[in-house]
Amino acid sequence: MKLQDARKDLLAGAVFTGFGLAFAVTASTYDIGTALRMGPGFFPLVLGAILVLLGISIAVKGFVAGEGGDLGTVPWRSLVLLIAAILFFGATVRDLGLVPALFVSVLLAALAGRGVRVVPAVVIAASLTALSVLIFVVALQLRLSLVGPWLGG
Amino acid sequence: MPRGPRYDIARPRRSRSVIGLAAATLTLAACGGGGGGGEDAAASYPDGDITFVVPFSAGGPTDTVTRLIAEPMSAELGQPVVVQNVEGAGGTIAAGQVASAEPDGYTVLMHHIGMSTAPSLYSDLPYAPLEDFKTVGLVTEVPMTIVARNDLEPTTLEELVAYVQENQDTVTIANAGIGAASQLCGLLFQQATDTTLTEVAYEGTGPALTDLVGGQVDIMCDQTTNTTGQIQSGEIKGYAVTTPERVESLPDLPTTEEAGLPDLQVGVWHGLYVPTETPDAIVEELTAALQVALTDQNVIDQLAELGATPVPEEDATPEAHTEQLSSQIDLWQPIIEEAGVSAD
Amino acid sequence: MGILDSLALGFETAFTPVNLLFCLIGVTLGTAVGVLPGIGPTATMALLLPITFGFDPATSLIMLAGIYYGAQYGGSTTAILINLPGESSAAVTAIDGHQMAKQGRAGKALATAALGSFFAGSVATLLVALLATPLSRLALDFGPAELASLILLGLIASITLASGSTLKALAMIVLGLLLGTVGQDIGSGTPRFTFGQRELFDGLDFVSLAVGLFGVAEILRNLEGSMVRSVVVKKVQDLWLTREDFRRIRMPVLRGTALGSALGVLPGAGHVLASFISYSTEKRAAKDPQEFGRGAIQGVAGPESANNAAAQTSFIPLLTLGLPANAVMALLIGALLIQGIVPGPNVINEEPGLFWGLIVSFWIGNLFLVLLNLPLIGLWVKMLAIPYRWLFPAIIGFAAIGTFSINLNAFDVYAIAFFAVLGYGLIKLGCEPAPLLLGFVLGPLLEEYVRRALTISQGDATVFVTRPLSLTLLVLAVVAFVVAVLPTVRRKREVVFVEEDDGSRPPQPAQAGTGDGAARR
Repeated sequence: MKLQDARKDLLAGAVFTGFGLAFAVTASTYDIGTALRMGPGFFPLVLGAILVLLGISIAVKGFVAGEGGDLGTVPWRSLVLLIAAILFFGATVRDLGLVPALFVSVLLAALAGRGVRVVPAVVIAASLTALSVLIFVVALQLRLSLVGPWLGG
Repeated sequence: MPRGPRYDIARPRRSRSVIGLAAATLTLAACGGGGGGGEDAAASYPDGDITFVVPFSAGGPTDTVTRLIAEPMSAELGQPVVVQNVEGAGGTIAAGQVASAEPDGYTVLMHHIGMSTAPSLYSDLPYAPLEDFKTVGLVTEVPMTIVARNDLEPTTLEELVAYVQENQDTVTIANAGIGAASQLCGLLFQQATDTTLTEVAYEGTGPALTDLVGGQVDIMCDQTTNTTGQIQSGEIKGYAVTTPERVESLPDLPTTEEAGLPDLQVGVWHGLYVPTETPDAIVEELTAALQVALTDQNVIDQLAELGATPVPEEDATPEAHTEQLSSQIDLWQPIIEEAGVSAD
Repeated sequence: MGILDSLALGFETAFTPVNLLFCLIGVTLGTAVGVLPGIGPTATMALLLPITFGFDPATSLIMLAGIYYGAQYGGSTTAILINLPGESSAAVTAIDGHQMAKQGRAGKALATAALGSFFAGSVATLLVALLATPLSRLALDFGPAELASLILLGLIASITLASGSTLKALAMIVLGLLLGTVGQDIGSGTPRFTFGQRELFDGLDFVSLAVGLFGVAEILRNLEGSMVRSVVVKKVQDLWLTREDFRRIRMPVLRGTALGSALGVLPGAGHVLASFISYSTEKRAAKDPQEFGRGAIQGVAGPESANNAAAQTSFIPLLTLGLPANAVMALLIGALLIQGIVPGPNVINEEPGLFWGLIVSFWIGNLFLVLLNLPLIGLWVKMLAIPYRWLFPAIIGFAAIGTFSINLNAFDVYAIAFFAVLGYGLIKLGCEPAPLLLGFVLGPLLEEYVRRALTISQGDATVFVTRPLSLTLLVLAVVAFVVAVLPTVRRKREVVFVEEDDGSRPPQPAQAGTGDGAARR
């Protein structure tokens, strides 16, 4: 059962090792230079290697100690909805304009809540969109078009 | 929390009311979509906010020049001019955005000498300076100064040249980053003095100047906008200005020509651009407004404080500036290539 | 001109009705934008720059400066209430401040932040008035080698930001350093890790990182459990500090003020380092270091004071030498230029009214801020009563707009999503986000300074130890490292499991009844 228990540290170690490798490998395609005349690749390459070592140490230590603890629940539905909300805003705010992009994003976000039904979510989205326009466009005078070119705005 | 009344005080003087401004934003949005409508649009131009996109941070020299001319241009055009800073990748982000903006005259790019060097620095530029833009006109040319930490031995440019030639291996020359005016001027300086110095790159002029004042680096070449205050107070040594004429605010500095380095001629020019499909009638409107702004006494005075002068009227035209831009592109290309500088 | 005459002139300038009014406007606006996630003081000042054209130079600067230090007050509010630091320095406040809020002590945390900030701001203002010139000279002695050593010291100090596993904290710092390298290399212009996207040339945006790693990840954690809302199910206790609280924050505030005042003068990272080093110092100095990360009031008092003192002293290089210590100061230079004043050492002699008026206005502004913020505490705490199903979509919406508005760059918004997933995942795996954030902020600077020091010395690595200041800082860094690692080693020898156990704890383990407690043995 050791492996089962240490899952968390093994995973953490794997994540760090993965990032370290990705950075180090990419960095090695840049000019490395030498320690005294560093090129753009030197610093990330060294750090990537250090991160790989740290990642392995974390995993090994976790495995030896076998003390990982439980991961707990992951709110997958909420996670997907929230990320979708953020990405949607970024992708469409320019072309749809602030109001529609924000409305959809906040609606998606609101639906990420537990047991939130569609109608209350629409109310939340509409009110927050109005509030945001008041704060950011009217009060702070940000130059964002309210309705974008896709909607003929 | 922000509330109405405070903004009544803090609002731009031009705008009529908060509601009015919101309405103006809506109008802008409306124009954005329906733009490019050719003659009809040109006839009614301008009837909404005009955005000047500045590719560098607020408070920098380019931003300052833009804001200086934005006010009289706005008065002349009869519409608010909004300055928007879109930073990134040596100004190429902003230029790319404007190149693909609606060609309706409501989105105008202010750019500097970097407009001509970007094609040499970036291999996959999403726009071509000459093909994707129409020039509105040249705005100003800011002279550059050759400066050094104030405990560097040489006192004249001649001595400095001898000094750097003697001490090539140890002399350090600061610049504000890849493609910055200070780097370009530094390249010219090395070319003119036939030296290869150790270039020390900074992220912007501020930190570079800080290290120069602190005596960490030896020399630098930067715009009068950045160096005048420090030279006047003796925090750094000034050797020469890189323009044909001396600068009013620094009367003691000889020109490079007087001081024996005539090859070193460079100024940071600023120009205005619109997307290439913009109707000529709209470009004419903008050019006319620019020319009026350049005769504004306040603009002349303020630019003088920065060590700069507005360009004469015949240079503030699309034709003259297009020609200048094209010759500048040709000038920098071999210099940048030879120095092996690349931004990607 | 003697100091008294100068101050008299300053009071004369600052106390005109117009300047008082615009000082108030500035700090109020600053508080507002500090509270809103995303949109920070730099963006606001840039927005308001045009309207200052018509002002007197002193009025213009007084208002713009007010926005800056006002935002420092406001930034800690969101950090405490919803774990969303708007600025790097507020990230430290979030660690213990948000825990306090969860325990129903939001009022106390906010009051501590406001009082600490006021004290620090006032003392630092006095320092600016009395010692601006010598301090700026001292700051100039910090060349690239010294700054590199200082940042190394800061990074090592940040290990103590985590209350869990040291190994994981180290890994988070390194990951942060690596994420900080994304973008165009300053020296060579090579774009690194940008996948050919020009929008990434200037690197990942700090605001995106903070919003994703802290704000959104926190929302996800809150949506995990069966509880309807995270932020304070517990009843809000009294808002004001007790005598005991005052006793506990006294020394942290003093030390924070000293640290912040000193580090704020330095270019670049001084401001950020101040709050991180202050936190680390307080954790070392505390009798109950385990309390840190679980709502220690000292963990709010120290960094908040440091941060505000630094905000004030960071004006020193600008005022005395015309050199900007950070982006905000660069913007003020622009404001001066537009007014026809060439910033530089001469300003103090040529425009004494402006110089001293601005300094006096700092103090007035800080007074306004504390008067404004203390009564607002009640209001902010009530905000926590907003149902969570309303609060979190609002946070998402505001954060998205605010982040996008800075550069109108969609990538900054995508980066929020990336950091949210990364942050949430890592938190689930027992890694705490604060060290990553510090690594991210300091990484590019560390690389820049190290490489610059080596370039200037023509590749001679001994610069780091032959320059006395740099050597001193390096020695301090080694000491800090030993101090940070020793207890871990010792503890491990005694109780093998403790450390691992700590490591398995999620970073916000304090709230009772959320199930997190079960992981602890």
